[in-house]
Amino acid sequence: MWSRDIAGLRLTFHLAGINNQNFLMRDDQTGTYWQQISGKAISGPLAGRQLTLVDSDELTFATWRSEEPHGTVLKDVRSYTAEYAPEDWDVKMRRAPTVIAFREHDLKGRDLMLGIAAFGASRAYLYDDVVKAKLVKDHVDREPVLLVVGQDGQSVRAFRGRIRGVAGAPDFYRLESTQGALFMDASTGSQWNFAGCAVSGKAAGVCLEPVEMLKDYWFDWRNYHPDTTIYGRR
Amino acid sequence: MTGSPKRAGRALAVLLACLAVSLFCVIYPVYVIRPFRAQGARELMIALFVTRFRPGATVVSAIAALIAAIAYWRARPNWWPRALAVLGVAFVSVLAALARVNIYELMFHPNEHPSFAAADQVKLDKGEMVIAVRIGGAARAYPIRDISYHHVINDVVDKVAIAATY
Repeated sequence: MWSRDIAGLRLTFHLAGINNQNFLMRDDQTGTYWQQISGKAISGPLAGRQLTLVDSDELTFATWRSEEPHGTVLKDVRSYTAEYAPEDWDVKMRRAPTVIAFREHDLKGRDLMLGIAAFGASRAYLYDDVVKAKLVKDHVDREPVLLVVGQDGQSVRAFRGRIRGVAGAPDFYRLESTQGALFMDASTGSQWNFAGCAVSGKAAGVCLEPVEMLKDYWFDWRNYHPDTTIYGRR
Repeated sequence: MTGSPKRAGRALAVLLACLAVSLFCVIYPVYVIRPFRAQGARELMIALFVTRFRPGATVVSAIAALIAAIAYWRARPNWWPRALAVLGVAFVSVLAALARVNIYELMFHPNEHPSFAAADQVKLDKGEMVIAVRIGGAARAYPIRDISYHHVINDVVDKVAIAATY
């Protein structure tokens, strides 16, 4: 998700090409080509410029609606709905061929990864591993991060593993049965929900800092993050 | 009245050069930037450079081809070389028109005028994945099955212009 305002212009993008199965956007205002995954201008008058990232989440509709009951949803374009992907499109996509391959870490090109590029480093997590673990405590470079799986078992968010006003990096634990709260920390004994906010305990009302995370196929993530490390793999 | 064979030869060379330039402008980017083929960084840069400048380049090529064809017509009395020259100009002109078409913008259908519905009015499966954003006081969700078809949604959320992509 990118801001469309840059260099005093408000850009309008269209899909205009493909680069190793990651698409290229062209803006109507300058004709510059932008890489979708990186937001970087790769050819044209604005080449070298970088779009500003807008924080976003990939969630199930149920989880999103429970958090944002007054939100709005993009409507289908009726003339194209018959051409939209079937419900099991993600399963089919996992079987699709890739044009580039990185045979590393025992990963397949279409393995779904959760990628974090922050704190001066890149780190990726196999989506299936994270969903299985429900709470992943890790470091990106030297910064503690948490990956938290929602109650739906599909949505995942990442947070910086530090609590405002609390020294150091507290330890966090997954809660199995508490309604609304998903995890707690050992420093304040607070319980935290999927939005990363403490709902009880000493830290009640405090929210963890979100960390932007991208769900992407291994080949694509690795192509644009060549120095990435992988959680749980060498 | 006809000109010299030398002049006809020069005109033909220009016409063929125009044909080659226009063909390259149209075919090379399609060849490089096509799905299910790995794109090298250098060839991609060349293809995008050609794509950006080919509308003008192919028009210049078509004009040059026309001038060359007229010179060739005047230099050659026979009907069939003249017919070939006319066909050549026509082909270069068609290429100039094709150079204005981005095949990806035809293949993929943008959602030019996105519209939105309240969360409680939408019939989506609970487990359907959405890309969600909250800006200021506004929250927006883009169903992935929808956005993976249109790929780019140019939107404004709480006065902030964003591109939702997938």
